[in-house]
Amino acid sequence: MEKDIVDYALEYARGKDVEYAEVRAQSQKLEQLMLKNGILEAFLSSVNTGFCVRILADGGIGFASTNKWTKDEAKGVVDLAYRFAKAAKRKDKIRFAEEKAVETTWEVEQKKKIEDVDSETKIKQFLEVDKALTSQTVNVPARVIQAIMQLTEKYFVNTEGSRISSFVPKIAAFGFITVVEQGKSEQAFKQFGYSGGWEAFDEWQMTENLIHDVNVLKEVITKAKAVKPGTMDLVCGPEVTGIAAHESCGHPMEADRILGREMSQAGRSFIYEGSSFWIGTRIGTDVVTIVDDPAIEHSYGYYKYDDEGIKARRRYLYKNGFINEFLHNRETAAKLGIRSNASSRSANYDREAIVRMANTFVLPGKMTKEEIIEDVKNGVYMVSFTEWNIDDKRFNQRYVGREAYLIENGELKHPVARPIIETTTLKFWSAVDAVSKTVEFDAATCGKGDPMQGMSVYTGGPAIRLRGVYVK
Amino acid sequence: MSEILNKTEEIVKKAKTLGADEVIAKTTFGKYRQTRFSNNQIDITVAWNDYLTDIALSWKKRVVATQIRDFQNVDGQLKQLFEIAKVSKENPMFGGFAKGKFKYAQSSADKKVVELGNPSEYILEAIEAAKKEAGQDINSGGILFTKFEDVYLASSEGPIGVDSRSAIEISIRAFSQREASGHSVECSSTLNGFNPSRAGLEAGEIAKLARNPKAGDEGVCSVILNPLFAGSMLGMWTSMVSAFNVMIQLSIFVDKLGQKVSPEFVTMKDNPASYSVSNRVFDDEGVPTRENVFIDRGILKTYLHNTSTAKIFKAETTGNAGLVVPNPWNVEMGLGNMGKDEMFRETRNGLYLTNTWYTRFQNYKNGDFSTIPRDGLFLIENGEIKRSLKDVRLSDNALNMLGNIAGISKERKHVHWWGEADPPSLAPYILIENVHITKSK
Repeated sequence: MEKDIVDYALEYARGKDVEYAEVRAQSQKLEQLMLKNGILEAFLSSVNTGFCVRILADGGIGFASTNKWTKDEAKGVVDLAYRFAKAAKRKDKIRFAEEKAVETTWEVEQKKKIEDVDSETKIKQFLEVDKALTSQTVNVPARVIQAIMQLTEKYFVNTEGSRISSFVPKIAAFGFITVVEQGKSEQAFKQFGYSGGWEAFDEWQMTENLIHDVNVLKEVITKAKAVKPGTMDLVCGPEVTGIAAHESCGHPMEADRILGREMSQAGRSFIYEGSSFWIGTRIGTDVVTIVDDPAIEHSYGYYKYDDEGIKARRRYLYKNGFINEFLHNRETAAKLGIRSNASSRSANYDREAIVRMANTFVLPGKMTKEEIIEDVKNGVYMVSFTEWNIDDKRFNQRYVGREAYLIENGELKHPVARPIIETTTLKFWSAVDAVSKTVEFDAATCGKGDPMQGMSVYTGGPAIRLRGVYVK
Repeated sequence: MSEILNKTEEIVKKAKTLGADEVIAKTTFGKYRQTRFSNNQIDITVAWNDYLTDIALSWKKRVVATQIRDFQNVDGQLKQLFEIAKVSKENPMFGGFAKGKFKYAQSSADKKVVELGNPSEYILEAIEAAKKEAGQDINSGGILFTKFEDVYLASSEGPIGVDSRSAIEISIRAFSQREASGHSVECSSTLNGFNPSRAGLEAGEIAKLARNPKAGDEGVCSVILNPLFAGSMLGMWTSMVSAFNVMIQLSIFVDKLGQKVSPEFVTMKDNPASYSVSNRVFDDEGVPTRENVFIDRGILKTYLHNTSTAKIFKAETTGNAGLVVPNPWNVEMGLGNMGKDEMFRETRNGLYLTNTWYTRFQNYKNGDFSTIPRDGLFLIENGEIKRSLKDVRLSDNALNMLGNIAGISKERKHVHWWGEADPPSLAPYILIENVHITKSK
């Protein structure tokens, strides 16, 4: 990364009639491998590097980026961003919330550096995962394992005096398996993610996790029975709790959605000023507190400063059942007359930073999972999910169980085949009466933005119990 | 232009000198512009310039790939790539890259799409058209996207070519009320004939009709999909025709070659023709792109291949190679014989769906999935639209829906929208029977 060109671009931008300018550079070493049924399909290794300029002028925003590191190119993208900003000709001018300048350097520690592990070892370790899957007494005719290792260096400067350098190593893996037994198939997708070094590979227990899923899918085919549709209790494991927190709390609490900035693609929110839902409105029971926290060290969604240079902190989205705090960047915060809470993230140097989640999860309660299940007379324990979706106002959602069991008189019985909860955000969180004390996280890639910006996040939470919901 | 091609060929020669068996290098000089708008105003205009060379090489059936930016450090990166190849593992399924010299069609790309003086004029045209149709209170948002790419490809196996690819798209979603919206797109490879007002008008029409929606009901009924929704379904079906997705069982078409998968009047093909926003004259192996009919009068005829998957399936490449796996480029559904109005007249009990999002599968192999209709959705009774609805989900099976197609319109539209109606398509109105609708309880 040539920081002098970044500084040059900022100085050149400062010379124009701008209200604000920033230059964000990124250099990312990337390694990616894909195994298909135990065969290395391809290994990709590259360095992705470039910088962008964002300018606020005359109340409009212009953004331009390049991967050509020359001063002429830097001038060109500044000129372009400035021209775009001026051309916006907005009636209501965009402003950014006032924030203090920051000069700092931060990085994520690696216990075992990714760059010190040679490519042969990386390939070998993932091949061993695949081999373990084939050693089970289960027919797994289709297996895809992908791994992505990123070493991301960023350099951020703005006209207010911020100057932030960072280095974040990240490793992610994905497993997609198809089990076929008795002529029927079931499929599972599992993602793993970590900010840090190669130690992630051991911490994930990827082999054990995927072997578990392989055996679960076999049981679903051979032993699971359909649930008798009706009103019953539903216990959600951490994976299901986590996806619900992400979809029906994290997304509708993004202020850019609430203010309409994402209205045409990712959509809006059931929360908006003048509606039945706003800050202070009840959305769940007292035991429901959902936070988004970028500051969890080594989490997949970890960052210390966001892509506008704001220091990260925990955000209480739903607090004790009430809508509490939206996710903001500087643009949305200014519109509501408050400060940013550091939710601005970009997937790459050539993408605008927008409001994003980091690690969204339900805070723990005091019960054990066993205590939660013991008090269920008739219900389903949904450990994990397959199909899921939610409407673009983030109110009508559906989760289909992958691993699930019938609960009768407080005891787990036989596996249940793809039980479904299809309900509203209000009904879901208003039905929660118990929360377990152990939080677990799952890595996920959150989709938002146009062009799409896949963003690394954790979803998570404890086991939670929903009383009297319709399950089919 | 030839200088870039020379540099690209030079990379191939260097890799061969280092010992590569086969090498492909593809340099893309791309200029991309996007203006995003919401609440009837422009939020941001974004430009990104890319100078990128994709390289894939094989060495003793080990396949490795890299990307080089602006021809920087070519020697160092190739050397590093080779080091990786040497410790990599053999891919016995690798069938080599395409061999031979090919002649390519002339590109009809339009450079004017990235030289627009003031692209916001197009946006204002679309917003004004929506307002004119649905009233001054209508609230619109969306994107205007333009692309111009010069692509230079060289392969050690013979193919060498230059292509230019251009596109301009506008996507507009107009809200007449908080829960009443219409969405439309206008997509073209050139400025000629690009009409943003048409998208604004349609979005406004749907938004106006969608006012005062009532919660819909569960059940089984016929649905009429407009071209934007149909584009999502065509994208879903076509991605499953990629031979790679068939091999990893991300497809309802596993073991179905030669079998009937839809009624006889259904034909689908992949065709990155010059009108398409995904236009191209060669694939990533340098094979000339072409029309590939994959469903011919109801029969699944072929998967979409690169050279390697074609060998596995004892077929020929279809010109759909990406850098590693084959992809569809632009889907076309064959014309039907129903007029749009006739389609509505013949529907006794059904829904008219204008857009969808968040399509997710329980099982790609057997096809169980759901998707969430958004924007205008309407109850049809006895051939007429009766009322605007909201809050329902289409929960069905991808193979069953293909088999239950009951009508295709005579008119088609070129559509592409975000990741939802992707890849781009030439989509008609489609009538499908016995579709399952569910809702929140």
